[in-house]
Amino acid sequence: MHIALITILAVAEETAKAGKSIGLGVGGGLGAVGAGVGIGIIFGKAIEAITRQPEMRDEITQLQWLGFALTEACFFYGLVAGLLAAFIV
Amino acid sequence: MSDAQAGGIGGVPPPDAAVKRPGPGAGDLKPPKKSIKKTLLLLVGVWIGGVILLYALFGSGGRNNSYQPQNEFKLDNWINAGVFSINKAVLYLFLAAIATCVSMIYVANRMQARPNKVQTAVEVLYQLMRDNITGGNLDEKMARRWFPFIGTLFLFIMFSNLVGYIPLPTNTEEKINIFGAHIPSFSLYAATANLSIPLVLALLVFGSYTFEGIRAKGPIGYLKGLIPSGVTGGMAVFIFFLEVLSNIMRLMSLSIRLFANILAGHLIILFMAGALAVILGVSALAWFTIPAGIALFAFEVGLVAALQAFIFATLTAIYLGGAVAEDH
Repeated sequence: MHIALITILAVAEETAKAGKSIGLGVGGGLGAVGAGVGIGIIFGKAIEAITRQPEMRDEITQLQWLGFALTEACFFYGLVAGLLAAFIV
Repeated sequence: MSDAQAGGIGGVPPPDAAVKRPGPGAGDLKPPKKSIKKTLLLLVGVWIGGVILLYALFGSGGRNNSYQPQNEFKLDNWINAGVFSINKAVLYLFLAAIATCVSMIYVANRMQARPNKVQTAVEVLYQLMRDNITGGNLDEKMARRWFPFIGTLFLFIMFSNLVGYIPLPTNTEEKINIFGAHIPSFSLYAATANLSIPLVLALLVFGSYTFEGIRAKGPIGYLKGLIPSGVTGGMAVFIFFLEVLSNIMRLMSLSIRLFANILAGHLIILFMAGALAVILGVSALAWFTIPAGIALFAFEVGLVAALQAFIFATLTAIYLGGAVAEDH
């Protein structure tokens, strides 16, 4: 009886640990996938736009960095959620 | 600084620099190419050799469970005074504020017709703030009125981020012993790596664009302005709530973007520069990851610090412009 209870508690603790690790992995990993795709699209389109209209270079570059930072932030939302899951909750 | 002055000064240095640069570069273009390759190979050799040597010498010390990486960001009260307690974040806040005021006032008081490098850099920043951030997103009257606010936000956030990348002896959790004196170990921390400060800045932005919108259109006009023209009936109510929600989401996205970017930058530098090796107990790992740590440090200092300040200021200008725009 005692031993069974201890085993169950130990398993529950291990499961909680595993869940935290999975939370961090999914938050960081999937966030990076999405943001990576987004940043790729932004830079690809910016290069396309500059090759089509080189005279608009400055304006396009500014918009490109704006888009880059906004997209990159989405990765950090995922990462912060993962860190919350792993260290705080 | 007047327009003509800024333009004239900005135009002087580039030819100077352009004349100077090709001189030494063109003269000895061939010899360095080979030596660069050699130096790179040598560095890679030292790096790989160091990893092998360190692993052979020290091996693995086993997992270290006593080190808690999240304690690097823990805020201990140094001076207890209730709400006004002084801790690490407050110190960095003061450092950033002092750095912003002192450097800008110093440069402004020593303006010269022939600028030195520092003045040129500050003028580039000024032009970025005036022409791109405020001038590009606001009409002339609004730009003149809000330029000081947006410029200060930009400079303060940038200095706060940059001060954060200077290692300062602020980690009172771990002490190092130098000739018997226990001084706090050096650590990286930034005021913006704490959610409170970006949140207060975002609240300031939220308050100012709401105020500006209400002043331009009146309280009822401002709320009506949230609904796009042409939408009526039940759809208008739905869109209205959606717009109110998106205004609140702006607060979250503004603050979390800045906070998470800086925090993640500090975390990854921490892990690459040794925390990983400390946790896993393999000292060779620190030598293995340090090139990535240096590269990430350069990336954070060179791009992310200024880019996040730029984004924050640009979005502030866009929100301010949107609040007073006639048509949604």
